Parts: sequence; structure tokens; C-alpha cells
Amino acid sequence: MNIPMLASTNASFTQRLIFGDHGASEAAAWSDGLFMMITWFSVFCFVILMTLMVYWVIKYRRRPGVASQPSPHHNLNLEILWTVVPSASMLVFFVLGVRGYAMKMVSPESAMELKVDAWKWAWKVTYPNGASSPETKFLSLKDNIETMQDGDSWVKQTGLEYPVFYVPENTAIKLRMNSQDVIHSFWIPEFRTKMDVIPNRYTGFAFDTPKLRDGETVIDTTSMMPIAGRDMWIFCAEYCGDEHSRMAATLRIVPQETYDAKIKEWGTPKDPIVLGESLYKTMCKICHSVDGTPGTGPTWKSGNGFGFGYEAALANGSSAMRDDNYIRESILDPNAKVVAGYVPSMPSFQGQLSETDIEGLLRYIQSLSDRDPNAGQTDQENQQADDTAGSDG
Amino acid sequence: MSTTDHAHHDEGSYFGGPPGAIAKVWQWMSTVDHKKIGVMYLFAVLFMFFLGGVSALAVRYELLDPVRTVETMNEAGEMIQYTTGERLSGLQDIMGAKNANEVYNRIFTLHGALMVFMFIIPSIPASLGNFFLPIMLGAKDVAFPRLNLLSWYIYVIGCLFGVFSILLGGVDTGWTFYTPYSTTTDADHWRVILMILAAFILGFSSILTGMNFVVTVHKLRAPGMGWFDMPLFIWGVYATAVIQVLATPVIGITLLLLVFERVMHIGIFDPSMGGDPVLYQHFFWFYSHPVVYVMILPGMGIVSELIAVHSRKHIFGYRAIAFSSLGIAAVSFLVWGHHIFTAMGELAAVLFSGLTFLVAIPTAIKVFNWIATLYKGSIALNTPMLYGLVFLFTFSIGGLTGLPLATLATDLHLHDTYYVVAHFHYTMMGGTVMAFMGGLHHWWPKMFGKMYNEKAAILGCVLVFIGFNLTFFTQFFLGTQGMPRRYANYVDEFQTLHIVSTYGSWILLLGFLVHLGTFVASLFAGEKAPANPWGGLTLEWETSSPPIEHNFHHEPVVTHGPYDFDKVVPPHWDPKDYPLPENPSSH
Repeated sequence: MNIPMLASTNASFTQRLIFGDHGASEAAAWSDGLFMMITWFSVFCFVILMTLMVYWVIKYRRRPGVASQPSPHHNLNLEILWTVVPSASMLVFFVLGVRGYAMKMVSPESAMELKVDAWKWAWKVTYPNGASSPETKFLSLKDNIETMQDGDSWVKQTGLEYPVFYVPENTAIKLRMNSQDVIHSFWIPEFRTKMDVIPNRYTGFAFDTPKLRDGETVIDTTSMMPIAGRDMWIFCAEYCGDEHSRMAATLRIVPQETYDAKIKEWGTPKDPIVLGESLYKTMCKICHSVDGTPGTGPTWKSGNGFGFGYEAALANGSSAMRDDNYIRESILDPNAKVVAGYVPSMPSFQGQLSETDIEGLLRYIQSLSDRDPNAGQTDQENQQADDTAGSDG
Repeated sequence: MSTTDHAHHDEGSYFGGPPGAIAKVWQWMSTVDHKKIGVMYLFAVLFMFFLGGVSALAVRYELLDPVRTVETMNEAGEMIQYTTGERLSGLQDIMGAKNANEVYNRIFTLHGALMVFMFIIPSIPASLGNFFLPIMLGAKDVAFPRLNLLSWYIYVIGCLFGVFSILLGGVDTGWTFYTPYSTTTDADHWRVILMILAAFILGFSSILTGMNFVVTVHKLRAPGMGWFDMPLFIWGVYATAVIQVLATPVIGITLLLLVFERVMHIGIFDPSMGGDPVLYQHFFWFYSHPVVYVMILPGMGIVSELIAVHSRKHIFGYRAIAFSSLGIAAVSFLVWGHHIFTAMGELAAVLFSGLTFLVAIPTAIKVFNWIATLYKGSIALNTPMLYGLVFLFTFSIGGLTGLPLATLATDLHLHDTYYVVAHFHYTMMGGTVMAFMGGLHHWWPKMFGKMYNEKAAILGCVLVFIGFNLTFFTQFFLGTQGMPRRYANYVDEFQTLHIVSTYGSWILLLGFLVHLGTFVASLFAGEKAPANPWGGLTLEWETSSPPIEHNFHHEPVVTHGPYDFDKVVPPHWDPKDYPLPENPSSH
């Protein structure tokens, strides 16, 4: 049952009013078409019902001296008609709905598989070559741009930075998704599809990225120059706690060459501090600040009892030195030592970060501090401490 | 009120009895009269509606603008940073929340939990149902009057648990308590357990009331009243009671398992302890989907009464409406999966989609029947009837917008967005609450023996209608355009629609305040109500307003159907300009 008219390439005015944009893939445009079909059916039914209702209410309004007139209490033919017609319509919607569902769930063998990981409160996409995107962008264009107000004072609006995930244009993509903690839901509104991301289970869906149209450009986050591309929102759609409404990301559709270059660049080794900073922006920033601002987790800025090389007062009354081993343990087994005043809410990043990544984060965190607690230790002590940390990880 | 009329029935009139405030309170607190229990339920659920409404307004207020951090220079030349748009952050310290988002999360949870468990589930059955089910059956009371009082106390205890949890700061689990979030959040605190136990305890109240109604309908119908002579309101409440008895135990067990997991760390739902988080969703919706019909079926029952009585027409397709109530009750147990389309396998999703479309059909039939009833009627545009018409308008939208949610392809986009929020508010509020308001105005003179100011009530109804549609119709567009639900913050492009929605909520508030004023004025200064102000033919209009203790002086015998307006002269009715049937004994 192929109904190509459901996926018309030119969205009607009403369709644009309802969805605000055009579905980004054929499956998305098709399901919009189905939505419009159901909506017009609904409008048709609703208008008939309300017209009859209002017409009869006016025509048969109570008038002095006029009684209601007798009419049959039921009418079998009429009742059969208004049972069969809705039932048949429901059947059509059901069948078309299943068909559109298949379009969104089933992918060709050749589809590129992206691994999606979720935790409170960030997304990570891992590409087939094992790389993942370190790039971020601000919430909206207005963000992070200084504007003058009242002549001499300036105002800078800062939104959060969100990770940017690159995908090549005109490609079949399938997602394999898993959560590290609670249930999330990976939603790309422009592909009109979402699926829950569940701990201890893989879920997924498929979509075809569109071909870029002429003149579609985005600002490249490394060069700050316009490049060919198209950005789409990714939202978390399953309630997951404090920062649920900021658990977003950007899906960036780019030409194949741009994608290949990015993937290659991310795969090459980097200075650990640069690597650490990019990991921080994509994975840690939603809870931990580097400027002392209070957040869901402790700030990484040194001073006031915080920061690398400073003693941490723990929730259980004891204290611990924030050294390499403490940070490593806090990444892999976050609830082992919780800082006083905070609740154990960080998920474990065991299996999420490579040794190189952890090293990058350690050096980045260290670079934010004026102290170095590792300096006084002998190599042997360091070795022992590493063994201890490794055994319970 | 009305003490002089029924001086010999002191206990039967609400404000009579021995002098002394304590004695009076005790008389109410220990009553086994279904009418007094109904009135106590009415005030309790309206209070919960008020609390839930305040939290709804707070949610809408927070969403007036998105949250932004702004950096600027102050007059002293220092760089300062401040946040705009966190309108509820003033509550952060009072609630002991970590941040403004958590305040928002607790308040929307509060709104959901109060409205679902403490307001809308008990609303119509426990208040109007308790008051009118026995009278409309011609009985002196429900089958188990003491159990009825016990249900009320259990309800109050459940509410106290909920309120206590709120006073300790509230919970941020969402009213659905989805695992593993609900078993891990605020792990060091009892608040969440208190809220879960509140829902658990309220379940018992639901089960006991349901059992009581089922037995009452089976055993206590007046002589001459067969099953198909029952008013359709009774059919609605009866179908509801059956669902309550069958489905509520499942949520009871599920909530207990949740408490076990939180307190004793038994891994049932949390995968880190070997559990399955989606199992919880199946358990939860196995109860909570049928409960959607616990909410709406009594409302449908009320609308059947409103439309028939105020257009003075025999209801069209009585049996179709009665059987569709039972049909909906039965099918409602098979469609829970449509709440979890995005968390289940493909085959299950397809099956549940098909079953969900099945439940749409009996609902559609009811709407057709109600509109057909208007044909050739004599339609009085008073407040109860207006609410009946408002119900037909909003509930039709609620029903029709459910179709894209039952359709798998479109649901993958709309699931967990504001579209769903708008859809279920159109059914819950546009359906149940509108019917409840209509029923309340219809039966208010009977319950309290006082009339209300019709013009003020109509003004309230119009304001509620406008405010409701402004608030929620905008949310359909928010959803289709990409706004997820339960978001404390949003991207800029959604702001205009959010502002319209929030303004709508203020008009809605104004409408309900007008109604509150009308009711208070009626209680204290209302004109005395006649026994049968609307010319109804069901048995509650045969007794005085308010009804005497044990409802009737003599056991009534039913000799006509509940909607035979063209054949029977309504008892105690002074219709002014309405011509009564000339041959009253033709039945």
C-alpha cells in the first residue's frame, strides 16, 4: 500500500503551521502526511458534530409554550452507519501507522551504525571508527554574543554549550542506544522519531539524512567559519531529573568530505589538556563548573575547599585529598566518596571513557588548579595507589 | 438551612443536630449517611483540586520565559552574572531543593499526583456518586454504609500522607514514579516513600468505594427498576466501580514493590540490581490506563443526564450508551501498552496500536448519541446544559487528537511532548472536569437546597471555556513543533506559545473563582431550591431538596423510564411556560 502523496515534498501552509518546519527525511515527511490526513479527517468530523450541535441548540432552544417533539429513541441503520464508518477509518489509520512505523524502525543492511550513550545529563555518539565528537555549540545564535545596552554597559547572554554530532548527508543511519543510569529518550524532532534509551538494554531507530540544499550553512565550531551543513535539535524526551530540560544536543548534517575530515581529526592523538577540556564540555559541564559556580556536582575551580590538590570534606564526615586516584575513582565509582553537601547522583563512566580520556580529564582538572598533590609522592606510592583503585573499579 | 422543613429529621439536614460545634463536627465525622459522606468527599476533592490548581498555575508561571544566564558589568565596573527566567527560584530554600529546576520538577509532580490520585479519580464517583447513586436507585443508602465512611477516612489518611510528603519538600519523580529514577532520586529521604504510600493508601479507598457501588447497584435497585431502567449516570459509575475493583490492586502491589526496592534494595525494577525498568511501566499502566476510564466514565454518565434533562428528550440510543460504558471498561484493560510505544518491541507496539483504536469506537458512538439527543428537543441554555455542550466540544477534540497518538508512525514524534499534555488535558479536564462542573451545577440545588445565581455561573462557565482552550490548544502546536514535556526550560522559538498558554491559565483561574463565589453566595444567601428545579424524572427529583435522611418517606416504585419526558409529568415540577404531556399515564 504505497501512498506517495502522504510524503509530498511541499508542505502545505497548515502543515508548516503545525510542525514549524518540513520533515527532514522521507519517513518524516510521510508521517507528517499521515498526521495531516488524520487531522483533516478529525476536522471534518468535528465540524459536522459541532455544526449539528450548535444548529440544533439554536433551532430547538427552549421557547415559552413549546414542548420537545417526539423522535425515535434509536435508529438501527443510523447506529450501524456511525459504528462502521469510524471503524473503517480506524483500520486505515492503523495500517498506515504500522507502515510509517516500519519506515522509521527498519534500516538497510548498509546503514551506518552510531552508538548512542546517555546519562544524567548528556548524550554521547560514538562513530564506527571509535571516535566521538568533542565539539560543542551554544544554545542559540544570540548566546555568547556581547551586546551593548544603555550606551556604555554591555550584556552577554550565555546559554549552555551542547555537543554537536556530525553525520554525513544522504546516508542511511541506524542508532544503537543504551543508558548508563535512568531512562532517557532520544528525540530528533525533524526526523519525527524518538525512542527510549534504557539501562541494560539496547534500543534504536533509523533515519535517512537528507541531501543538503544550496545555501544551507552552519558555523564550524573549530574554524568559526560558515560551512555547508544543517543543524537539528536532539532533545531528551523522557523525564530524567534536574537537568532534563537541558539534556539536548545538535545533530549536524554535513557533506561527506567534512564528515570524513572531522572523524579523522577526532581520531588523532591530542594534547591531554585539550582532550580533557573537550570531554569536559561535552560530558561534565552540565553538573561541574570551572568558574566556581555551584552546580549539581562540585566545581573544579580551586579554592574554597574545592579543586585539584585540595582536601575534600566528605559526606560521611571524613576527608580525602583530591589527587589523581581520588578523581579516577570519582569518575569510575562516583558514589564511593561523595563530597559533603552533595547527593550521590553521578552515574559511573566505567566503560565510557578510555584510559587516554581519563588521563586527559585528570590533566585538564589539574591545569585548573594551583596545586599538585602528586608532586610529593614517590613513584612507588603512586604505583600502590593505582593498584588499589584498579581492583575495585 | 432547611431545618424548619424537616425538624423531625434532624440528622438528615446537614446543619441541624445538637448544639455545640464539637457535637456538630462529630455528627459529621461519624455519619454513615451516604449524602453527608458525599458532601464531605466533595469538599475534600475540591480542596485537592484547589491545591492541584495552584501548582498548575505555578508551572505555567515558570514557563512564561526561558532560563538564560546573563553576564554584564555593574555600576562599580565588576563583572556580574545573573539568571533570568527562573521564576520559581524563590521557593528553592523553602522546599530545600538543589536548584530552580528541581523546584519546577517537584511542582509538576505535585500537580500530577494531586490531580490524578487525590482529585480526579475520586472526584465524581466519591462525591456525586456517593450522594446520588443510592437515591437514583431508590435506596436508603449504599449497601455498606460503615464501609463507605471507612473509605472516606482512608482517603483522608492517604491525602495526609501526600500533604506530609509535600510539607517535607515534595518529590520530583513525576506522578508516574518511573523507575529507576523514582527508586534512586532523593535516596536519603522519606519523602518519596511517603508519596508512594499515599497513592497506595488512596487505592484502598478506591477499591472499597467501588465494591460498595457494585453491590448497591446489584442489590438495592427500587422495585420496578430493571438494569435498563437505570439512569445512565448509574451505568457510568457502575462501569467505573468494576474497573476500580479489578485494576487498583495491581497498582497497590506495584507501589509496594517500589517501596521494597527503595528501602530494602531488592532489585525488581532497577537494572543495576538485576531488575527491569520497563516492567514497572507495564505494571503501572496496567492500572493507570483503565484508570483513565475511571476518570471519564462517570463524566460521560453525567453528560448523559445533563443533555437529556435540559433538552427534555429521551436519550438517543440508551442501550448503546450503557453497553459502550461496559465495552470501554473491558477494552480499557487491553490498551495499556500505548503509553510505552517507545519502550517496547515492534510486535507488541503493533498489537497495542490496533487494540487502542478499538477503544476509540465506543467513545465516538457516545458522542454521536449525545448530539442526536438534542434533535427536536427543548433546550434550556442554563449552566448545567452549557457545561454539557462545552464537554461535547472539548471532549471531541480530546478524543480526535488521540488518533495520531494511537497511530504508531505519528506517535513516535508526538510521544512525551506537549501534544500529549494537551491531548490528555482535553480529555481529563475538558472531559471529566467539565462534566463534574456541569453535574455540580445540576445537582447543587438538590444537595444543598439552595439555588445559585445563574448569570454568574454562566459567566464562570464562559471564562472557563475560553481559558481552557487558550491554555491547552496552544500546547498541541508546542508538541508538534518539538517541545518535550516536563521541561523547566526551553529554546527561544517556543516562547510565544508558552506565553499564550500561561495567559489562558489566568483566565481559567478567573472562571473558577467566579464559580467559587457563586457557590459560596448560594450556600449563605441562595434562594431556597424546589424539589425538582429542572423537571428531571430520575428518583432524586422525587424527594425534597436537600433529601431527608434515608432519602424517601416511602420506598419508591419505578413506573417509568428515566428519560420518558414526552410521556410523564415530572414530580414536583413547576415548569412555568413549559407545556407538560397531556396524557401522563400512557406509559
